[in-house]
Amino acid sequence: MLAKLNSYGLIGIDGCPISVEVDLSRGMQRADTVGLPDNAVKESKERVRSAITNSGHQYPEMRVLVNLAPADIRKEGTVYDLPIALGILAARGVFPLHAADEYIVIGELALDGQVRSVTGVLPMVIDAHERGFRNIILPYENAEEASFFADMNVFPVRTLNEACGHLNGTARITPVPPLKWSGQKHVYPYDFSEIKGQQAAKRAAEIAAAGNHNLLLIGSPGSGKTMLARSIPSILPELTMEESLEITRIHSVAGELKGRSGIVTERPFRAPHHSASIPALVGGGSRALPGEISLAHYGVLFMDEFPLFPTTVLEALRQPLEDGVITITRAAAKTSFPAEFMLVAAMNPCPCGNYGSKTKECRCSAMQIEKYRGRISSPLLDRLDIHVEMNEVNYDDLVSKQEGESSASVRERVNAARMRQRARYRDEGILFNAQLNTPLMRKYCRMDEDAEALLHAAYDKLKLSARAYTRVIKVARTIADIAGEERIRKPHVLEAVQYRGLDEKYWGSR
Amino acid sequence: MRIYTEKERAWLWLNSVFGSNVASADQLIYMNDGLMALFEDALAGRTLRCPDQLKERQRNALIKNRANYEIDAMISDMEDAGVYAVTRDSEDYPKLLREIYDPPTVLFVKGRLRSDVKYPIAVIGSRKCSDYGREMAEFFGRELAQEGACVISGMADGCDSIAAKGALSVKDCDYPTAAVLGTAINDVYPSSNTRLYDEIAARGAVISEYRPFSKPQRGSFPQRNRIISGLSKGVLVIEAGLRSGTSITVGFAHDQGRDVFAVPGRLNDLMSVGTNGLIKSGAAKAVFGVDDIMYEYGVFTGYRHAPVKVADLSALSPEQRRVCEALINGEKTADELCELLGMKISALNTYLTEMELSGIIKQLPNGYYAY
Repeated sequence: MLAKLNSYGLIGIDGCPISVEVDLSRGMQRADTVGLPDNAVKESKERVRSAITNSGHQYPEMRVLVNLAPADIRKEGTVYDLPIALGILAARGVFPLHAADEYIVIGELALDGQVRSVTGVLPMVIDAHERGFRNIILPYENAEEASFFADMNVFPVRTLNEACGHLNGTARITPVPPLKWSGQKHVYPYDFSEIKGQQAAKRAAEIAAAGNHNLLLIGSPGSGKTMLARSIPSILPELTMEESLEITRIHSVAGELKGRSGIVTERPFRAPHHSASIPALVGGGSRALPGEISLAHYGVLFMDEFPLFPTTVLEALRQPLEDGVITITRAAAKTSFPAEFMLVAAMNPCPCGNYGSKTKECRCSAMQIEKYRGRISSPLLDRLDIHVEMNEVNYDDLVSKQEGESSASVRERVNAARMRQRARYRDEGILFNAQLNTPLMRKYCRMDEDAEALLHAAYDKLKLSARAYTRVIKVARTIADIAGEERIRKPHVLEAVQYRGLDEKYWGSR
Repeated sequence: MRIYTEKERAWLWLNSVFGSNVASADQLIYMNDGLMALFEDALAGRTLRCPDQLKERQRNALIKNRANYEIDAMISDMEDAGVYAVTRDSEDYPKLLREIYDPPTVLFVKGRLRSDVKYPIAVIGSRKCSDYGREMAEFFGRELAQEGACVISGMADGCDSIAAKGALSVKDCDYPTAAVLGTAINDVYPSSNTRLYDEIAARGAVISEYRPFSKPQRGSFPQRNRIISGLSKGVLVIEAGLRSGTSITVGFAHDQGRDVFAVPGRLNDLMSVGTNGLIKSGAAKAVFGVDDIMYEYGVFTGYRHAPVKVADLSALSPEQRRVCEALINGEKTADELCELLGMKISALNTYLTEMELSGIIKQLPNGYYAY
């Protein structure tokens, strides 16, 4: 007796259809799984057996053969428990053999027949929708994550029996209503108005947010680097649905959605500790899972104490910073993950943090300082578009009555600037200035003669590298966008150069 | 190739055992009726009268190193490193240095050492100097060289190396500067000073009492400070903070009877506490320019004070002028400027960059701007 069901697997962050074939034949009672299963899939037969018996059905005293096709793709995880169990029950005649043909089935089973949630549901649903599937049976907890298409029926199940009841028609389940996309209003834990002073740094953050530029904050301990970084999500534009879906896909695959409902509606803010390894940051592991830079896709990756990260980790950031995508190759898998993140790096001016302070004495030796700064190589430094110093905060600043500008009003300007960019790059397949490549820059970064001459002078004076030079132009482009102007003029370049001055000051000797 | 006399070879032999430990070497010489008597006794294999605290290792080394080939090996080591040795009894041993309580037995030299420099002036200061210190070090280094003085420094980061560079910038000066190292003579520390090292060796002298290829020891840096002051007629302190290595050199200078000069700084500046303190206590003479130093040695240079900066703001736009005027009154952060002038940060940034590029103002660490 042969039963066949549709299920889904993952390749990287994309879903791929897997068909589950269950064959019952005469012979000694045993169960086998073929089709490149990993350990979790191999163990599935034990869970299925208990779940079927504990749901009140009889497990066949026959030889059970499960085939997962196509047989050349590695099958991972626990999503195949439910389809295998349903396949056995279909072959036993608990519900009509072809009742499940129109469905996709995914889910993990507990020994008592409960259905448990799985990871990576959204990419599977997106792919299934593209391939024309319209019905899906999945764990109750994953329902919200999947209910994104109006013409997709999502049937959430809590137990194996509920799935059986639905398929044999005795107890139909109502599909969950599709979620409506709304640019939700968020309450952010940090607001710009709470940051006293630090005008220069706040302006730099605004520009960085408007063009998705990378930002380097340098300042003594307690000057508010972390607070500023944490409040950056509050000035970023709201997510569009496409962005939201893509973020959710990555988070879904990484299993980061556990305990949260539905899709990701906030821009991610990731702050890995400086003890993080390369795989933790860029992705990897035996299953090639996305790392922090991919989890920060369309959001902020905040790296506090930047020079304390291992140099190998810092250098590993260079390629994704340039390409916005990371390709991970492992024995078992080769995958690309998007990594279009905004890097916010924070560091002290020296190991003790008091370098250049007017009130405290720096006790670091010249060697220590050089070593500390030297950890950031010049190619990496070049890729950080905007450098800004945070001032020491004194008591008067802390108690000052003067309220800063609120995040909401900064966000309006950022939103407007991003709109301009989106409209301009509609046909180019990019979203913001940071993604401009050389041909596009030639096309869209037209400058006044004044501005051109100035840039030339700055290039000589600040001894910029070719890469730093293009970064200055991109930042100037963003500043012009904030000002609402199509042509880059002298003041825009002047301001952009201001955010490059620290190169020379802190790393001038090399 | 330098030919060493018998006496010089005796000093080299002693130096190979005691290194920079001048006290022990001198004691041994005293107990054995002079260097040559000591050397002859050693060569003849007679028992030497040694101080009790002399270590077994050093006793053995005295016997082992007396052989001609050991001294020859030391000389060839020096040739490998491109340096030569000047001993206390050499013609070119600096006269001023011979006067101090514990002159080095042997000096290793790269370049050429002169025994009779007319106005050797040490210029010292913090390694992490402020912008002001940087400017003053350069100014005094250059001016001293112009007056024919020789700038003696430690070639450390900060004031020392800047002063040396200032002196080297005077092209027609014959012997602008000499540097005394705290490491082996052929060991450049910090390594970023390699170019400076070569330049000083080419036009002046690099000096060390540590022989080539020897390892740096604890305390060797403070010890070499006595040579810096010992070589000099006067010691000029450019900038010194609360606890600074310069106080050691100043101490040596006072013990050796050298003049001490100091460049005054702002009273509320942490980086000038040391120099201002020296002036207040009378330990140093406040100098405004190179004329104040040279006057002490009977050289009248005319008025040579450090120029007071007078702002020429005529070429600036009205906004830039306002920013500039605010900065002339003292260093300020962008925040303070915004508040003081009621400007928007985006506008202020453009003024700051423009004036920075034309060299009117500059950025300091920690977000400060200065005129």
